[in-house]
Amino acid sequence: MIGYVEGRSPLHRAHPYTTLALAGAILFGAFALTRPAEVWLLVLAGAALAATGGLLRASVRTALVLSLPVWTLLFVVHGLLGGAPLVAVGPVSLSAPGVARALVLGGRVTAIVLGFLTALATIEPHRLVEAMTARGVPFGRIFLLTSTLTVLPRMRERAGHILEAQQCRGLRLGGSPVARLRALGPLAFPLILGALAEVDEQVLALDARGAGTGARRTALNPPADSTAQRALRWLLLALIVAAYAWKFWRMRG
Amino acid sequence: MSGCAVRVDGVRFAYGAAEALRGVSLAIDAGEQVALVGPNGAGKTTLTRLLVALRRPASGRVTVGDWDVATRRPDEMARRVGYAFQHADQQLFARSVREDVAFGPRRLGRSTAGVEAVLEELGLAAVAGLHPYDVPPPARKLVALAGILAMEPGVLVLDEPTAGLDGAQRDRVVAAVRRRAAAGVTVIAVSHDLAFVAEAGDRVVAMREGRIVQDRPARELMYDREALTTLGLKPPATVEVSDALGLRGRPVRAEEVVEAMRGIRWRRETSE
Amino acid sequence: MTALVTLEHVRFTYSGASRPALDGVSLTIAPGEVLAVAGATGAGASTLLLVATGYAPRVVGGTLTGVRAITARRCGVVFSRPWTQLTGLCSTVREEVAFGAASYGLPPGEVADAAARAMAALGIARLADRDPARLSGGELQRVVVAATLAMGPDMLALDDPAAELDPEAADALYAVLPDIAGAGTGVLLATPDLDRAARVATRVVRLEHGRVVADGTPPRGLEETTVAVIARAAGCPAPYPTDVAALRARVAR
Repeated sequence: MIGYVEGRSPLHRAHPYTTLALAGAILFGAFALTRPAEVWLLVLAGAALAATGGLLRASVRTALVLSLPVWTLLFVVHGLLGGAPLVAVGPVSLSAPGVARALVLGGRVTAIVLGFLTALATIEPHRLVEAMTARGVPFGRIFLLTSTLTVLPRMRERAGHILEAQQCRGLRLGGSPVARLRALGPLAFPLILGALAEVDEQVLALDARGAGTGARRTALNPPADSTAQRALRWLLLALIVAAYAWKFWRMRG
Repeated sequence: MSGCAVRVDGVRFAYGAAEALRGVSLAIDAGEQVALVGPNGAGKTTLTRLLVALRRPASGRVTVGDWDVATRRPDEMARRVGYAFQHADQQLFARSVREDVAFGPRRLGRSTAGVEAVLEELGLAAVAGLHPYDVPPPARKLVALAGILAMEPGVLVLDEPTAGLDGAQRDRVVAAVRRRAAAGVTVIAVSHDLAFVAEAGDRVVAMREGRIVQDRPARELMYDREALTTLGLKPPATVEVSDALGLRGRPVRAEEVVEAMRGIRWRRETSE
Repeated sequence: MTALVTLEHVRFTYSGASRPALDGVSLTIAPGEVLAVAGATGAGASTLLLVATGYAPRVVGGTLTGVRAITARRCGVVFSRPWTQLTGLCSTVREEVAFGAASYGLPPGEVADAAARAMAALGIARLADRDPARLSGGELQRVVVAATLAMGPDMLALDDPAAELDPEAADALYAVLPDIAGAGTGVLLATPDLDRAARVATRVVRLEHGRVVADGTPPRGLEETTVAVIARAAGCPAPYPTDVAALRARVAR
């Protein structure tokens, strides 16, 4: 579940900047907090955000899948190979500070991933464009951001077509690791080359639609904003600043 | 490789809730040249995907020669069926046109001796050493087709083979198809281009909303204006000429029309 | 009547190419005409379109020598692949059509009017609330043309616009071109489909290896249409008829 998912949750209806602010707050907050308990409160906040978007189960599942490699690495590096004091857990001895460190780092990754999955799923690219246009952001910058949002589903679709075409030329999928490695070229190159060629065409097509004029675009249907949402965004900023101030104060003392 | 017969029996297929094929049966003998026509969404491309095991029918059976497609993978079907997709860019990847065309035969463990001849046939000899993406998009379509022809399949499936090609390129594709047909290869072409169908097809199977609605010799269908209208099609220019001049014998290909026009006398153009 | 574009001895070479794509082209394009550019693939028709509308070298790179005077205020371009011309940022056809028109900072009311007029001209008003991503190729291409027209261009260039369309959609698209020219816009059409071009062209230019080898009014330049080819092979003297009615008129009874 990576990418926009249709829905009518409060997050879907909120101004895109608000959702971005919430995800951003989780991102910056994750690095300001240094204790396992604090970081895991943030993970809960991320889960709460996903729930607000109506996506709790799907995002948690995707977040776990994405962060699993990181968790494994962290436990091996810090948990098993960390320093004293050691704690016996069954047949294995784990390093207590190591485990704490793993929990913090892993928790950060999980919180950030949850926040961003939710943001991706609840911000409709079109509304984001309108929001940014209404604020006077030049179109070039807008396109850069939104094209990264829409690139994944397109790539996935294209990858499917390429898979079919190459199979029809006798490429066998699966098999030994060597065979899989050799299959990479015929699958990856058309994907990359095709994507690059498509970008060329799209840049031209978008320029033909006036993207390069530099004039300020008319926002035709800007998403509704409210004082409450604006206040929330300022509050989040203040919280982040406070969190960092607290972090540095703790580091000094 | 000589051609295979293709049989489709009572095949049903749906994309989720949308039925794409509603009980389609079709028998194509080895060496026949069949054109699949019909509006977008009629199920033509879906049907061809079944022939190469890229999709499995919900019910019914598909056989290519003596192979039951249900028991085969797409890469196995590639040994008998050459499928030329509509968009070439899906498969081009090698360092040069020549390398890319040789990919298919190599995968199948077949000789690459025929690659040069196929390049020549499709007018690609001059660009054989270039990277596929350095060749203009319409020519890339020919590169992809060359890659399939080089596999020397017993059944050739073409999806919109002439879309985007200029006159000279279309002529080459027509010639290549006719050459294969003469050698006994079974040809199935999905095409909107009735002029191409006239030049390279014997039999036309028309589909609409997942069913076969017409299955007739090309010469007959091309002259049946009513039937063509129900399919959203118009006769090719050659047939329009023949109709307008009242030519005998129902010529369908350009050379046939010219032959039937023998003896016509012409007026000089009067300036307006 | 001022020309929209004047080219004098224009040579254009793409970056990294060894030979020029346009090799000494001199040409003028006037308002209200439908100029068909014919030639084999690689003869330079697409490049001529990009140069005449100013997209080359500005967007695609390359070097241009010779004189190019573009007096057209705005030039629109339509390419052959419908899907790569979608912005990907609009959820309805109405928004998609209005997108380009919104690039000039005009008030929302004016933009909406321009979009409505363009949709009416292309006969797609009934598609206004549909999702562009779910349209057929033919419908989509008409949306793209409408989106380009909504920007109010003086010149509209189309590069093989019906390449991916079925015959009905292709006929419908070509049928709209004389109306667009009739409103004063100059239409520049590059296409290998001479049979359809013959129905709408008021002037034909043939290119070979980047050079203009013919520039005249139909039937000149259309010697490769199916009817003309048949007529010539059957012994008809030049100039060759390009449609069935003209052919019949030349037969002595």
